[in-house]
Amino acid sequence: MAREECKALLDALNKATACYHHLVLTVGGSADSQNLREELQKTRQKAQELAVATRAQLTAALRDRGLGAEERAEFERLWVAFSGCLDLLEADMRRALALGTAFPLHAPRRPLVRTGVAGAAAGVAARALSARSLRHEAEGDFDVDDQRELEREILQVSEMIHDMEMKVNVPRWTVQARQTAGAELQASASASSVGAVSVQERTGPCDPSKALAATVFSAVLLAAVALAVCVAKLS
Amino acid sequence: MAGGRRGVQMPHLSKMERVVVSMQDPDQGVEMRNQRLRITVIPHTVAGSDVVDWLVQKYCISEEEALHLGTLLVQHGYLYSLRSPRSLVLRPDDTPYRFQTPYFWTSTLWPAAELDYAIYLTKKNIRKQGALVGHEKEHYDQLHRKINHTWDLVVMQAREQLRAAKQRRKGDRLVIACQEQTYWLVNRPPPGVPSVLEQGPERSSCTAGRVQMTKNMEFYKQEMERCRKALTRARVKSSICLEAYLKFSSQHGPHDPIMSGCLPSNPWVTDDDTYWTMNAPSVAVPTKLRVERWGFSFQELLEDPLGRAHFMDFLRTEFSAENLSFWEACEELRHGRQAQVHAMVDSVYQQFLAPGAARWVNIDSRTMERTLEGLQQPHRYVLDDAQLHIYMLMKKDSYPRFLKSSAYKDLLAEAVIPPEAKRRVFPFMRKPRHSSPSPALLPASTSGEPVAAASGPKCGDGGT
Repeated sequence: MAREECKALLDALNKATACYHHLVLTVGGSADSQNLREELQKTRQKAQELAVATRAQLTAALRDRGLGAEERAEFERLWVAFSGCLDLLEADMRRALALGTAFPLHAPRRPLVRTGVAGAAAGVAARALSARSLRHEAEGDFDVDDQRELEREILQVSEMIHDMEMKVNVPRWTVQARQTAGAELQASASASSVGAVSVQERTGPCDPSKALAATVFSAVLLAAVALAVCVAKLS
Repeated sequence: MAGGRRGVQMPHLSKMERVVVSMQDPDQGVEMRNQRLRITVIPHTVAGSDVVDWLVQKYCISEEEALHLGTLLVQHGYLYSLRSPRSLVLRPDDTPYRFQTPYFWTSTLWPAAELDYAIYLTKKNIRKQGALVGHEKEHYDQLHRKINHTWDLVVMQAREQLRAAKQRRKGDRLVIACQEQTYWLVNRPPPGVPSVLEQGPERSSCTAGRVQMTKNMEFYKQEMERCRKALTRARVKSSICLEAYLKFSSQHGPHDPIMSGCLPSNPWVTDDDTYWTMNAPSVAVPTKLRVERWGFSFQELLEDPLGRAHFMDFLRTEFSAENLSFWEACEELRHGRQAQVHAMVDSVYQQFLAPGAARWVNIDSRTMERTLEGLQQPHRYVLDDAQLHIYMLMKKDSYPRFLKSSAYKDLLAEAVIPPEAKRRVFPFMRKPRHSSPSPALLPASTSGEPVAAASGPKCGDGGT
């Protein structure tokens, strides 16, 4: 059904935007490298493809005059979420451009800021592309060409946003969001387990010591019981 | 696009960024250490004392100033403390600090958006299992009301961003969480903490305070425009200005009631308004000071109605009274009502300017041509040129003769110098102060005889 397809596309776009945001966070910092720029490029290209596809589907759905009021409200909600997502993506792309120009990779005079973030973010990009892993195949001087590409892509995205505003008339203030305050807490099981897992990981380092103490205590208890039994048997 | 680049509006931000970047230099930057957290090791920590020492050495400043500079860096979010991230102070001991990632620098990020803040609070809500407290809970509820229509997006993004963060190593995750927390502590400070990013009202006209670092085309174009405007300004040498000012002050000194006292007495002090009645606009016998003032400049003479009347009498004896009449008619046109402009221009033309008019004024041919042209489309300033010509004529010609004339000298001789009011010997017999009359009841005549006005209060005195 059209609605499920749109929802799926929107979820994928949302995932790509979130991953892009995460990658842009480290531009200019100590984790900045050729690989990172390549990951950024792949993620944003995937996000743009998804955006174009979602837009086509949603526009087609909203143009359909024979929609019921409820269905229309549903599509409008999806539309508002989609345009918000696209705004976030465009803003992040602009920041990536500004930071990329401010912190060029191969300039000797301008060192990167040592932020303490080291380590590859290949996993993040792989998640965005829904792939298992990511291969890095960029040559040197990749970032200079990439900057120019990025400029062009930013213009494309802002054009798309402008087109969307002009062609589809969805007043945002009439849309009622489905999620209530705190809806993120009673989410699907995966989300809550994610939260629980994170809480557990925070206290992770404590657990081995506690487990060790427990085993030592139980061992001592067992030894004491064994000794008592032996003493009872002997006597 | 939200807002403009902060770096242009707040130039100290770009300066701070340059300081931070120069601290990153691998050879001459600040010394970095590693932070050990149970099992994970996170690099790139600086101690507060190292930062202060580096600043002292690099910029050759005192330790106090370096401490202040370091605190500014922390307050604007370029550096954050690892032990107590909420206190935005730089401690000059071995408290560890870390640098903020450029994404969260105050000048690269556009003004912190409500949507981003909502996403951050939702993420925190998820992490804390719903235990948001204090001002964050308030903001969360507020935002839920304000941007309710995008709340779906907020929840989706918050979940996805947390899942994306899972893909990183633990150390990176912790650092990124600290960075985001610092950013929001600076941009949405808790209640009671002054916001460091507050700016005063936007002063777009004052460009003097803007420090333009890049000298590009725009900068030079603005410079050229500014110089061009400055060339067309009228300038007077300060020596001339000061001379004129000195002359004015010395001339008017004795006439100023505050500098040289006023005779008979200051009405505000003694409640005796003889001074005002004697200097009323139309009075039979003017005071001496007033007549002297007519000799200072032509403008003074014309502005005083009594002086103008005497000048008119003098001009009549010289058969050039039409000049002053013409000037007065032009003044009436300038300050008159818009509806009567046409009629007045016509009457002035008929009376003074038409060839063969009853009171024809003598204007030079060029001005006359220009005026006649302008009369095709009359407006209130169409006779300005002619008026100025006549004014200068009177000033250069008739006015000096008036000052030398016997009429003026007689006026000077007859002018009265009011005697100083006698001070009463017994202070408790002072005139009772009567309240001023209600403004609703206007006095019958403003220019009464000085004797009558002076006797008024005395009658009241005698009555009680």
